[in-house]
Amino acid sequence: MSLRSQLLKGVLEGCILSIIDQQPTYGYELSVRLQEFGLSDVSEGSIYPILLRLQKENLIVGTMKKSELGPKRKYYHLTDAGIEALTEFKLQWENIKIPVDHIIKQRGGYV
Amino acid sequence: MNSKDIVKLNNELREKLTATNKEIYEDMLVYIRLNNKSEQHTEEVLYEILEHLIQAQEEGKTAQEVFGNNLKAYCDDLIKEIPNEKKSLAFLFGSYIIIYFLAILSTFKGIGEYAIYYFFDKGSNVFSFSLGSGIIVIITDLIILTVFILLVLKWIKSTTFKIKKPKKWVEFLQIWLISTIFIGLSVLVPIIMPSFGAEISIPVISFAVLGVILFLIAYILNKKFRLTK
Repeated sequence: MSLRSQLLKGVLEGCILSIIDQQPTYGYELSVRLQEFGLSDVSEGSIYPILLRLQKENLIVGTMKKSELGPKRKYYHLTDAGIEALTEFKLQWENIKIPVDHIIKQRGGYV
Repeated sequence: MNSKDIVKLNNELREKLTATNKEIYEDMLVYIRLNNKSEQHTEEVLYEILEHLIQAQEEGKTAQEVFGNNLKAYCDDLIKEIPNEKKSLAFLFGSYIIIYFLAILSTFKGIGEYAIYYFFDKGSNVFSFSLGSGIIVIITDLIILTVFILLVLKWIKSTTFKIKKPKKWVEFLQIWLISTIFIGLSVLVPIIMPSFGAEISIPVISFAVLGVILFLIAYILNKKFRLTK
């Protein structure tokens, strides 16, 4: 797997946890939200292997529920372990974001 | 929600797909279903991507735009993440197939031989066999059945994601050949098996009775654990 896709994978998991944390979400809605935030690079279908993995790791749980309009949908919510994982992701992201931004910007300044 | 109920929902919802998308989705469905992973999680994710595809379709997107150009690789990604089936459930399903298979064999042998004896006065009212070779014959036939099932599943899997669909009669011939070899081998085993072990004689009609009991057990197992519907 390329560095780019590995990087994206970890970040994407964190983003999915964060969106589900805001309100119970189903697959299609989740992909729309990701695109709205500008992650249009992510192909829509790629969230489903990730959702399966997050379920396997017991970070999220899905339940089939009736939706207001449209057919039954599987809504996801975070488990306690999921909330913990999200907190950890936010912490790690903060730790990485600022130094990486500095490095990239400084280098950009010289060019 | 039980996987069998999700299958029903899937069957209804699938009708909303356009002809092209339906063909693509059904290939994915067959390919993904033919894994030995958790049925519950398999059906849940199949339903999710169907629902997604229908919404995307309404926005004018194609299946390739949603799942990428390499559908098979995408399905493999999904299958990899589906949890394994619980051992107890897999064992139960295996037992169900074996009991059902033995029920069919036993009933046909019992009724068939009894009818031939009764109406045509041929054969015997009593069936004699050797305990040792009898057990080996049953085990060998079950192994042949397992290989047969695995072969058919593999064959079905190989028919998915074909750009050019093969002719119907070619597919028929292939599956006919596999079935003929299976039936031939199953019949051959008791004929060529040398007799050993204690000799036992029982009236042939008792096979029919045993068959019916096995059918009942299979039926109850299926009802109780919702193995097939």
